[in-house]
Order: sequence, then C-alpha cells, then structure tokens
Amino acid sequence: MQTNSRTDGGLLDAIAGGDVAALRELYSRHAPWLQLRLQRRCSDRDAVDDALQDTFVAVWRKPSRYDGRGEVAAWLWGIAIRRLIDVLRRRPRALTLLAREDFQPSAEEQVLLGVEHGDLAGALNRLSPELRAVVQATVLDGLTTSEAASLLGIPSGTVKTRMMRARAQLREEFA
Amino acid sequence: MSWHVAPDLLRAYARGEADHAAASSLEAHVIHCPGCRQEVAAHCDRQGLERVWGEIRNAVEAPPSGPIETLLVRLGLADHRARLLAATPSLGASWLVSVALSLGFAAFAAQQEERGLMAFLVLAALLPLAGVAAAYGPGIDPSYEIGVAAPMSSFRLILVRASTVLASTAALAALAALTLPRVGWMAAAWIVPSLALTVLSLALATFMPPILASGFVALIWGSIVIVTTRVTDNGLVAFGPGAQIGLLGLAAASVLVLAFRRDSFDLGSHV
Repeated sequence: MQTNSRTDGGLLDAIAGGDVAALRELYSRHAPWLQLRLQRRCSDRDAVDDALQDTFVAVWRKPSRYDGRGEVAAWLWGIAIRRLIDVLRRRPRALTLLAREDFQPSAEEQVLLGVEHGDLAGALNRLSPELRAVVQATVLDGLTTSEAASLLGIPSGTVKTRMMRARAQLREEFA
Repeated sequence: MSWHVAPDLLRAYARGEADHAAASSLEAHVIHCPGCRQEVAAHCDRQGLERVWGEIRNAVEAPPSGPIETLLVRLGLADHRARLLAATPSLGASWLVSVALSLGFAAFAAQQEERGLMAFLVLAALLPLAGVAAAYGPGIDPSYEIGVAAPMSSFRLILVRASTVLASTAALAALAALTLPRVGWMAAAWIVPSLALTVLSLALATFMPPILASGFVALIWGSIVIVTTRVTDNGLVAFGPGAQIGLLGLAAASVLVLAFRRDSFDLGSHV
C-alpha cells in the first residue's frame, strides 16, 4: 500500500539524520489527513496551511521529541493542533469555527449513522454547536482548558461552564 | 481492523459536511489506520499541500544559523536582522579570537612597563575602529550586494553593525583592562578614544570609501600619539584629560556630520 516500506518511526530516525526525503515521505503520508482535520477546526485556509507548515518544520527540528510510544500520527496531531492555536493567537481573527454548522444530514444518513454509532452519536449531535465545539476541543482533541479557549476564541471560564453544561446534557440523555 | 471509513462518509467529511459524531469516529480511526489515511489523501487539496511542502523545504534547507545568529535571536532580534548582523565579517569567530589574543598580549606587556601600557591603550582604541571598518562595504562584506538591494536603509544597517562590533570589541578590551589593577583608571583611558575614532571614521566614510576613512583616522591619530610622546616624553599624554575632552568634542561633531550626511550611504556613489 505504501510506496515506502519504512515505518513512521523509521522515517523519524532518518529525519533525525537530516534526510529531507524521509520528511517528504512522512509529509505525503500524514499531511492530507492533518490538513482535512485542521480544516474542520478552523475555516481559515491560510491559518491551516501555516499550521501544517509549522508542524513539519517542528518535526524536522526535533524528531527526537517522539518518544517511541503510541502512534506517530497521534503525536503529529498533537503538534498540529497546537501549531494551529499558535497561528491563531498571532493573527487577529475573523474566525468562523466549524464552518458548516447549518448542515443537516439526510434522514437516510441519520439512520445509517445511528446504526453505526448508537445513541451516543445522536446525543453528541444534539448538543448545540457551542457546546459541541468545546467537547471536541477538550475531550476528542485532548486540549487543555486554556488551549481550547485560544482555539475557540473564548475565555477559559466559558470553556469550563460550556463543558459542564455539555456533560449535564449528555448525562440527562443517557439517564 | 474490521471497521473502515466508508467512501460516502469520507467524501462528506472532506467537504466539511459530516456530522459531529461521525467525523469524530472517523478522526479517531484514521489515527490508527494507514489504509484509511491513504483514502483520505484522495480528498485533500493537493495543490495547497504542494505549496506548503515548498515552504517546508525552503525552511529545512536554509543554512543552519550559527552561534552568533542564534544568540541574537535569543536576545529578541528578528530573524532577518540577526542574519544580517551575523554576516558581519568582524563578528566572526576568527576576528573575535584574534582581537582577544592581541589584547591579551598587550595587557601582559602593560603589566611589565610603562610603554607596554601605552601599547595596550593604543591597541584597545584602534581595534574597535578596525572592527567597524571590516563590518561593511564592498569587497569586505559578503552580504554587501544584498544589503544595498535590501529594503532597509544602508545607514541603519551600518549603525546596527558598527555598534554591535564596537560593543563586542570593547567588551573584550574591558575584560583585558580588568587584568591591570595596578594602573587604576588609566586602564580605561582607551574608551573615549575608541568611541571617538570610530564615529569619526563613520563620518568620514560619507565622503570616501569606508576602508580609506578608517585607515586615514588610524594613521592621523597614531601619528598624534607618537609625536606627543616624543615631544613631552610622556607616553600617556594622548590619553590625558585634555585629550579625552578634545576627542569627546570630535565625537560630537562627527555625530552631527553623520546625521546630516547619512543618505550618502544609500547612494553608494562614493564606493
């Protein structure tokens, strides 16, 4: 499947030795999904591109930061989302997060997704966009409260209260 | 893994249309599944990715910054300024080492006898001048052509470089002077002359090539030191209070000339 038989960890070793081709290979394996996932967090394409660039430059400079445990992909995502936060901190933002909140899945899709994900999916989807963004940033992306606050452009206190409200709502749905 | 991302979901996800829960499970799965990562690649913005890769390659293939550049960036200087400064020939390691060595020998000589002290003072006053002379100008500065073409006034670049060279060379001279407790404040008598000579040479450099200006200043001042020594039979007259005040006045006048004629650095007509 992959054109190059080296593992991601092997590529990082080669990058540590100054191998630009290895960085290129790592980039072609991981930049596409990182780009799409970042785009879901931030609708500003330039900010996403900058974050992607910063991510791989950071990997080039310090490939040894990867401690060999867990997926390289997860490690890369951790860098990428924090780079995105840094980029957004640097620029005044006209930000629309999670761009397509107005989208409604068709009835058919809802049924299919319901089968796939059970009740939890429905419960998550019924959260208001504000609460969902907070759940996504803290629970799914694993950001700290202040990182989530920077990404979403809201105060830390608001992140905490929205998280509490989201928890309460989910608990109610499953009660 | 038995579950893989369905093509429909992938398409919706790439368009930003997948709902929250489905998108989240896709994201969680993709972290662990190289196959689905490849499927995702079919939906991304290829042109954008290639453009970003170009930027990454530029960044990683740029020459690594040297110790001085790294230090300057640490101190809060912008990258491009740091690079311009670090390209200064008289901030290179070889220059600083030779300055340190010659000052060390002179300081040693100064401990032995009166004439040694004079030699130390003359050297400590002239080294910053030489350093500034070697800090800019065609034929010396490898980044001269770039500097002329840069959207930054040559005058500012010269000032920034000259003051950095002056500071680093003077710091070395001050260290050497610390080894001369016997002579008291006389060990610091080179400070005003070195400053005045450097500023004077910069002012003259608005009329002639910088190398010529520095050589001229060094020659005149050196002759004055030798003549006064011969005439008064006291090697330190040229560093006495009268001379210091005179040099301060000269420095002030040079600053005025420099401020008045600073545009001549940009024209480059004299070089």
